[in-house]
Amino acid sequence: MTDTTPPTPSRNLSFEALSNYAVIAAFVLIVVFFAIFADGFLSGENLMNLVLNKVVILAIVALGMTLVIAAGGIDLSVGVSVDLSSMIFIMMIAAGMSGVFAVAGGLAAAICVGIVNAILINRLKINPFLATLGVLFIGETVQRVSTQGGVPIYLTRGEYSAPFDAIVRTGLFGVPTPVIVLIVAALAVYIALHRSVFGRYVSALGAAPDVVRYSGIRVPLHMSMVFIACAAISGVAGILLSSTVRSYVPFSGDAFLLDAIGATFIGTAISAERRPSVFGTLLGVLLLAVMRNGLLLIGWNFFWQQVGIGVLVFLVLGVSFGLRRRND
Amino acid sequence: MTAPAIEMRDIDKHFGPVHALDKADLVVAPGTVHGLVGQNGAGKSTIIKVLAGIYRRTGGTVRVFGEQIEQITPAVIEAKGVHFIHQDRLLVPSATVAESVFLRNEPRVGPFLEHRTMRRRAQELLKTHFNLDLDPGTLVQDLSTAQQKIVQITRALANDARVLVLDEPTAALVKKEVDNLFEVLRRLRDDGLAIIFISHYMSEISEICDTVTVLRNGTDVGVVDPREVGIQRIVDMMTNRDTSEMYPPRDVTHGEVVLEMRDATAEPHFRNVSLTLREGEILGLTGLLGSGDKEVMNALFGQIPLDSGEILLRGKPLRMRSPVDAVGQGFAKIPEDRRAHGVATALSVRENISLASLLSMSKRGLVSRKDEARVVDDLIADLGIKTPGRDQLVKNLSGGNQQKVVVAKWLSCESEVYLMDEPTVAVDVGAKIEIFTLMNRLAAEGKSMIFLSSDLEEIVEMCDRTLVIYRGELIGEYAKGDIDADRLLAAASGAASDETPKERSTA
Amino acid sequence: MTAIADGPPRAGAHRGRNISKLVIRLGAFVGFALIVIYFAFTARGFTTPYNLTNIVEQSTILGILAYGMTLVFAGTGTDVQRGGIDLSIAANAGLCAAVYAVLMRAGYGGYVAVPAALVTGMAVGALNGFAVVALRIMPLLATLAVMNIAEGLELTLTENTVVAVNSPLIDTLAFGRFLGISTLSWVFVIVSLALIWIAHYSRTGLRLYAVGGHAEAARAAGVRNGSYVYGAYIGAGLLAGLTSILIVARLSSSTPGTGQMLLPVLAAALLGTVFSRRLIPTIGGTLLAALFIGTLANGFQLLGISSYWVSGVQGALILVVVAATSFAKNS
Repeated sequence: MTDTTPPTPSRNLSFEALSNYAVIAAFVLIVVFFAIFADGFLSGENLMNLVLNKVVILAIVALGMTLVIAAGGIDLSVGVSVDLSSMIFIMMIAAGMSGVFAVAGGLAAAICVGIVNAILINRLKINPFLATLGVLFIGETVQRVSTQGGVPIYLTRGEYSAPFDAIVRTGLFGVPTPVIVLIVAALAVYIALHRSVFGRYVSALGAAPDVVRYSGIRVPLHMSMVFIACAAISGVAGILLSSTVRSYVPFSGDAFLLDAIGATFIGTAISAERRPSVFGTLLGVLLLAVMRNGLLLIGWNFFWQQVGIGVLVFLVLGVSFGLRRRND
Repeated sequence: MTAPAIEMRDIDKHFGPVHALDKADLVVAPGTVHGLVGQNGAGKSTIIKVLAGIYRRTGGTVRVFGEQIEQITPAVIEAKGVHFIHQDRLLVPSATVAESVFLRNEPRVGPFLEHRTMRRRAQELLKTHFNLDLDPGTLVQDLSTAQQKIVQITRALANDARVLVLDEPTAALVKKEVDNLFEVLRRLRDDGLAIIFISHYMSEISEICDTVTVLRNGTDVGVVDPREVGIQRIVDMMTNRDTSEMYPPRDVTHGEVVLEMRDATAEPHFRNVSLTLREGEILGLTGLLGSGDKEVMNALFGQIPLDSGEILLRGKPLRMRSPVDAVGQGFAKIPEDRRAHGVATALSVRENISLASLLSMSKRGLVSRKDEARVVDDLIADLGIKTPGRDQLVKNLSGGNQQKVVVAKWLSCESEVYLMDEPTVAVDVGAKIEIFTLMNRLAAEGKSMIFLSSDLEEIVEMCDRTLVIYRGELIGEYAKGDIDADRLLAAASGAASDETPKERSTA
Repeated sequence: MTAIADGPPRAGAHRGRNISKLVIRLGAFVGFALIVIYFAFTARGFTTPYNLTNIVEQSTILGILAYGMTLVFAGTGTDVQRGGIDLSIAANAGLCAAVYAVLMRAGYGGYVAVPAALVTGMAVGALNGFAVVALRIMPLLATLAVMNIAEGLELTLTENTVVAVNSPLIDTLAFGRFLGISTLSWVFVIVSLALIWIAHYSRTGLRLYAVGGHAEAARAAGVRNGSYVYGAYIGAGLLAGLTSILIVARLSSSTPGTGQMLLPVLAAALLGTVFSRRLIPTIGGTLLAALFIGTLANGFQLLGISSYWVSGVQGALILVVVAATSFAKNS
């Protein structure tokens, strides 16, 4: 009985479609631009370096952030999850424990951060921004107290078991392990967010939390799972980070926070439905990494890169929110 | 003769493809109380929002005391002495009474606010106009509904209002408060103010209004003197139809008792409420705003815990701690605030319909798109939801179709007991009929419904039995045919209880 | 004629809420007092005039920046996720400090450098306002992006180095005294008084709070909401500009890392709400909160407690305050 068609905002839809292509086209243009003007941009070495050092860890953290933002929250404490997992992991390795235990320990530390967030948000009803902000502060103190004020822990060759080292450095079939971990993480988050019942609840929470409550779905349970999952994923990133640099440097996780949020929102702006998505986030991470790398290669220093990235994120947000307003 | 206080001519307003106002006129003389009536969706609130400068009109002219106004903004219209008492008590909760009264008209000494003068004058105004002793330092959030209404009117008077527009001012007030409000309004009218009075309560319209403009489908269909023509004529003008058309007939066959509530008390909302609901029955539930009727329904959905008493489903006592329990037991709620609680407007029709029943269309936690599409398409066809497809976003659907999406959501998980909280709010007449038809169909299929509405006409026509809540107590039960809307209103206003009400109906 | 409304029908609920509000406020004041008393007895030298002045001076920079945040909260509400917030305020101060220091180094003198710093602050604030009001970007994200831009510009200007500044103005601010009280403290007093006037004793302030308290109600009353939100962000930017000069004065240079102040600034502005009767951000409340945080840092220092704990204590404070106020508002 779909005889009469209600008015569809066709003008808006086409405008939206145009803007989707516009962002992707802009991305392609940026890549082409750097390919032409930045010497060595397309060299295998540079691309490998780009993926390994700039993309993988940020992408994993951003995947966790994508879940949280999809559920309508935000997690400012991803850096704490990264750092605490990295810290416990390195400390356990340094204490001579086996790699498996150390990984489990690191992940457990990150999951604890997630549980604390979940309790603050669901039990004490603190809004996610402030709850995770508080955890961010407390995480800083935990690290300072555990490291005499922030002294990095470097592993010596002997402490770092050779086989473990080999896995991290080489991986399977010539694909570096961090890339494999990223692929697995992306697939897992993709299935969780876009294919599973859980993901449906998450998207609905982000769109209209009260509707979810009125539909008889356990909102606190799912909200908690989202924050714990985000922390756990960030914990994976932390372990990867410290395995690649064979050390724990306090507060290094903080660097991922803004980029993860930025990447997720760039992804939201790109996605056809204007929702956080795994594909969009990964593209957002790539865009940020390409911008950084390209700007570096054409001779912009780190400081100008930051301005450039800030302006880029600002513009994407402007386009994204401008469209949303047009749509309402 | 002086110019009309308000003269709105040929007002047009389009919302995208929706023609909300179609050459509507509204002319109000000074020194009168002018009623504005119409069904939900007739354009009452739209024309008021155009006058208030909240919506920009698409066409037509507006004159205030003879002076034409091209661009209306809230500040411009207030400067002309036109003040609005909005239905949803637009006051800043964290402000004091004095601050609220003098917002945008603040007394100052040099660059400094005169807090003391503000307080003193607010107190005086409240005392002279309303005989109310209220500490002007009280925060708005700590006031009762009636007091907030008064603060709003006081603000208008403090700003030398010449026209006062009251949108459903009595909705949350008890009888005595209404009488006193009318007394104030009459005095203000005698002082020469023009008052526009919008209300659903026909008896109030005929009691207080000197003239009435009737709106239907965005157009004014008549300006009448309510004391001359009577309520029935006005209602006929509003609906332009025989009521039998509006409320489709249905065969009533009731089955076993499905739901029972025994001696339920949830302080401070309601006390000792008992009710039963049978298969295929539509049970009406009504009361004035704040009477506790809504809370009874919320308790049935697990949103308010009971202090004592119990809820039984097919004779089995239930533990109701949250909507999770209620939905698990086959309860379904069609919430009043559809856009906040009923549908996620940013999601698709498909995602909305399947939200409550995803577990039944998934394997190992993964949604089966095929099963989902089948269920959703069937329901779209079955309920006649007008959408280009299942992936259309719900925000692009009309109000009536959004409401059908909510019902489809519950049908997809085979709910048995439907709790309908004002399901016809903000949908047009055609959609209303569709919703009523749908209700009848559900009843014919053996589903049970509790129907809560402040539109008493609907309650009277649709419900097999009606329960009336007054001040948290169940004070009456009426079978269909035993009561009409006016008597129901009298009951809801406490006629059957200790307070002796003034006759609110003149029909 | 009888009164229309004899009393609030839901008096019980309101009384409960008012009592829990009162408990929280009293708790905040008593907590502050107890901590001061504790320090007075245990921390050697805490009560000396020198140390007390030091606390005020330490709190000045934090306090004035937190005033900026308070203005933004006042005009946009304290629901930081959906309402408003200015995450760029500390980075903005850093940028202004860099502008000031670099211009001074280039020999322009205070008459150019001071206005330039203030204008920079206001421009960044205006950019926030534009993003929030005109583009309707979520304030959280808009100011986050602006924070990145401001930080990047600061680093570009200073190339991540310390830019030393010498000028009579800086000397006066850093070492000057008037009536036995340091210039820095005087600035704090004057700015506080001026803002108390604007926020709580002026028409603008009343309307600003109306916009933040209930935007719809303010609009219906004829307030032009957009300009007040703009104003709040630009005001915050101006305060960031002013603070930048104080920062330079205190350190005799523009130093990277001003952005780190964001978290204590947020903590002070949020903590301030528990000192107000209505549990909303107020200048007086923020003043007390800034002093409270300054006192804590100072007392910890005197007691020899490691500075590692400072941020953790601030984080815990935020959580306690927010949980307590949300409890009070819902009960």
